[in-house]
Amino acid sequence: MSQSIKLEVVTPERPVFSAEVAEVQFPTASRGYYGILPGHTPVMTEVGDGLLYYIQEGQKHWITVFGGFAEIGPDHVTILARESETMDTLDLERAEASRQRALKLLKDAQTEHDMAAAQAKLNASLIRLQAAGHPAGHGF
Amino acid sequence: MAGLQDIRRRIRSVKNTQQVTKAMKMISAVKLRKSQERLVALRPYAGKMMEVVRRVVGRIKGDSEIQPGPAAQAFLSPREEKRIRLVVVASDKGLCGGFNANVLKAASAFASECQAEIVHVDVVGKRAAEWAKKRKLVPAGEYLNIPLTGFQQVVTEISKGAAAQYHAGEIDALYVIYNYFNSAVAQTPTVFKVFPMDLDRRAEGRDAVEVSHLLEPDPNAVLETLLPRFVETELLRNLLESSASEHGARMAAMDKASNNAGEMIAKLTLTMNKIRQASITNQIIEIVSGANA
Repeated sequence: MSQSIKLEVVTPERPVFSAEVAEVQFPTASRGYYGILPGHTPVMTEVGDGLLYYIQEGQKHWITVFGGFAEIGPDHVTILARESETMDTLDLERAEASRQRALKLLKDAQTEHDMAAAQAKLNASLIRLQAAGHPAGHGF
Repeated sequence: MAGLQDIRRRIRSVKNTQQVTKAMKMISAVKLRKSQERLVALRPYAGKMMEVVRRVVGRIKGDSEIQPGPAAQAFLSPREEKRIRLVVVASDKGLCGGFNANVLKAASAFASECQAEIVHVDVVGKRAAEWAKKRKLVPAGEYLNIPLTGFQQVVTEISKGAAAQYHAGEIDALYVIYNYFNSAVAQTPTVFKVFPMDLDRRAEGRDAVEVSHLLEPDPNAVLETLLPRFVETELLRNLLESSASEHGARMAAMDKASNNAGEMIAKLTLTMNKIRQASITNQIIEIVSGANA
């Protein structure tokens, strides 16, 4: 049995990440987090919005994921995400601006639909801020 | 002297044409870059998606616990192909070498060889619409002058419509004919079957071990979202392949046209100079012989 997992994260816009890692944990759409070690049974599930982490050479690294699918095998995890960023590609200023906008939208929201859209936007920006260790993200 | 005037005029007209072809080449180069960037970005995602769907569908097929919903049915309980839906992707404009001719030839060959009845044709691009008219196929869906940003909507419409038709028993399969983008100068007309899926090419490398996937939380719910997503991704990729191919083909054709125009100008200039020289020589002879007399 192999001692590592090949983690691949791809989005329609670009391949985000691909490397051998020791452990992966990602958020699912409906049932909390999924933690995976080498030799996992094959699973196919939906990915939620949140933070994925992987452990490589004893170090924990974070990747944001927003929706999509995950396919898990004994030696690989493939995440087909709708959107995703590694810490290198994450735009913190944009996330902060997006949070401010979302807060304003939330205040001005008239309909339930507007409210839900603003809330989703706020969540997305908070996930990004949390990933970068920004203080605003930790209230999330 | 009339000959000289004519040639001058022709050189001017060829030069004008060359300017047009050069400009078209530049425009195509820019458009090619845009389409290609999106295509190159989407390909790894589409490839992975294909791999995953292949694995999942290959294993759970025939599993009695899976009760596929309307969108997943097409993949999991294939029927004999009697009636099919066909999407033909060509371009709106010409002047792009063999781009349209090749893909439409492939479409004609497919239409005459295929055993099933083509009950529903979608055409993308004016050239494809004209082709359908000529073959007396009435296109049910016509998508003309679609910009790059409009692809997603076309894709959603076709995939939703096809899934509903499969569910209603109107069609048994969905095919797409498009130009596969090899490089800026090479395209291959390709017939692609979106569903039901051909699983023959499945046995590759690490898939050798047959293990069943757990589908969590609910198998039917996962398939119901995954498979339509797969159809959309593939259709989007096909449209982008075609778009990049079109601009690549046009760029190559216009480059050739510009070169040909250059050659023609050189030839005409040479002839013009010859005629001019001849007339000057004639005049000198006349003057000299006049002086002698």
